[in-house]
Amino acid sequence: MLIGSYTQMIIISPYAKTYVNGQTNPKNYPYWQELIPLINEPIVQVGVKDEKPLVNDFRPNLTLAQLEKLVKECRTWISCDSFLQHFCWDLGKPGIVLWGQSDPLIYGHPENINLLKDRTYLYHNQFLSWDLIPMRSDCFVQPATVVDALSQFSQCQK
Amino acid sequence: MIQNKIMCSISTKGRYFTTLPLAISAVISQTKKIDKLIIFDDNDNPQDMRKENVYSHLFQIMDIKGIEWEWLFANKKGQHHNHQMANIQGFPWVWRIDDDTIPDPCVLEILSSYISNEIGAIGGAVLTPPVQFENSNPTGLIDNIYHEPNIQWANIKTVQDVDHLHCTFLYRAGITDYNLGLSKVAHREETLFTYGLKQKGYRVIVVPDAITWHLKSPTGGIRSDDVKGLFEHDEKIFQNTVNLKDRTIVVLNNGMGDHVVFKHVLPDLKNPLVFSCYPDILPGRSIHEAKELFGDIEQYNIYRKMDEWQWTDSLENAYRKLYTNDNN
Repeated sequence: MLIGSYTQMIIISPYAKTYVNGQTNPKNYPYWQELIPLINEPIVQVGVKDEKPLVNDFRPNLTLAQLEKLVKECRTWISCDSFLQHFCWDLGKPGIVLWGQSDPLIYGHPENINLLKDRTYLYHNQFLSWDLIPMRSDCFVQPATVVDALSQFSQCQK
Repeated sequence: MIQNKIMCSISTKGRYFTTLPLAISAVISQTKKIDKLIIFDDNDNPQDMRKENVYSHLFQIMDIKGIEWEWLFANKKGQHHNHQMANIQGFPWVWRIDDDTIPDPCVLEILSSYISNEIGAIGGAVLTPPVQFENSNPTGLIDNIYHEPNIQWANIKTVQDVDHLHCTFLYRAGITDYNLGLSKVAHREETLFTYGLKQKGYRVIVVPDAITWHLKSPTGGIRSDDVKGLFEHDEKIFQNTVNLKDRTIVVLNNGMGDHVVFKHVLPDLKNPLVFSCYPDILPGRSIHEAKELFGDIEQYNIYRKMDEWQWTDSLENAYRKLYTNDNN
């Protein structure tokens, strides 16, 4: 169900690119189901058609103009290492990026809160196609860490 | 000094028993010792030359002199593929010589004496007896390539900046790529490569007193193949490159996020011409068109470049390194 526009809401972008070989993208954060109930704010999920909706308000295949409008309306956003983090950076809208095996020092932006569990989990070769790299869940931060960052982020924004 | 280590590369085809041993002998007799020799064997029927008496002696001489050497059986895709392998071996300088050339003993010593931070490539004269073009005074500029003999075809009287070099030269490795879109005859491969160094902001020069003798032969090398159509293919790529020489060519054959990051580099580029996968993020001509024009677009693959550079800085700065003359 679409809820329309909010005065305050969080955008989530749970999934990185889907691979033709069917492999789960190792950049995908594995704990969204646990994280979402901990966020006590309206949430809008963005992505592409055929991705699994995690909240009621899923808006797939937005045009760049529509996405830009939404980003400008949101309080902040949470994303895996995917297009949204770059897009929001370009718009000057900071948010939270959930890192696993890709390196925020290479692919991230310091304007965001970059949650990386530990650099020892980074894949040894950062420049391969990610469909060649196996998914592992243990390399991501737990949902409580994300919620904590979100509250810190709120304080920073005040 | 480690930063001046020099690897010599020779790509060979069809010259096992003619000029190749002469070339190897000349390389290992240089007054300045090379740090490594790699021979890329592009022969259709490669052989183990350790069994041949002359080669056995040459290899032993290198061992005695402390010259590391390696004989690689190459992929038979053309010498530009071999030179590109040499280009990314990790040596800061590569001295490439052809398998039908004989450098005088002092050539490497002279060429390397001109190494400095601003130099990208250094060439000497490449003479084929009987010597011609002694009074031609060529400029060595890319715009004049159809109107003058190559500047290296005659004795060089003074140090001169040029746009491109030919055949054999000493170059700064890992700065620009050989165009692997050229056919196996690799027509103009060294011209495009050295001009690429120039476009990266480095000086390309010719210097006197460094003579390499070119024993041109009607057999062996690229002349082993039926080549007319291949030459035309390569010439077209060369002409397209020269026609766009005043533009900074940008090829973004990657993801949407990469395009967004690149947008922040674009304002720093001089007269950019963009080929883009996502024109709604960054307007540009198509990737297909880039392939048609330049043959090969791997040289613009930012992920391959970051891998090659063992990159640890940001993607944005990797783009800056690739597309600007910031060579740090």
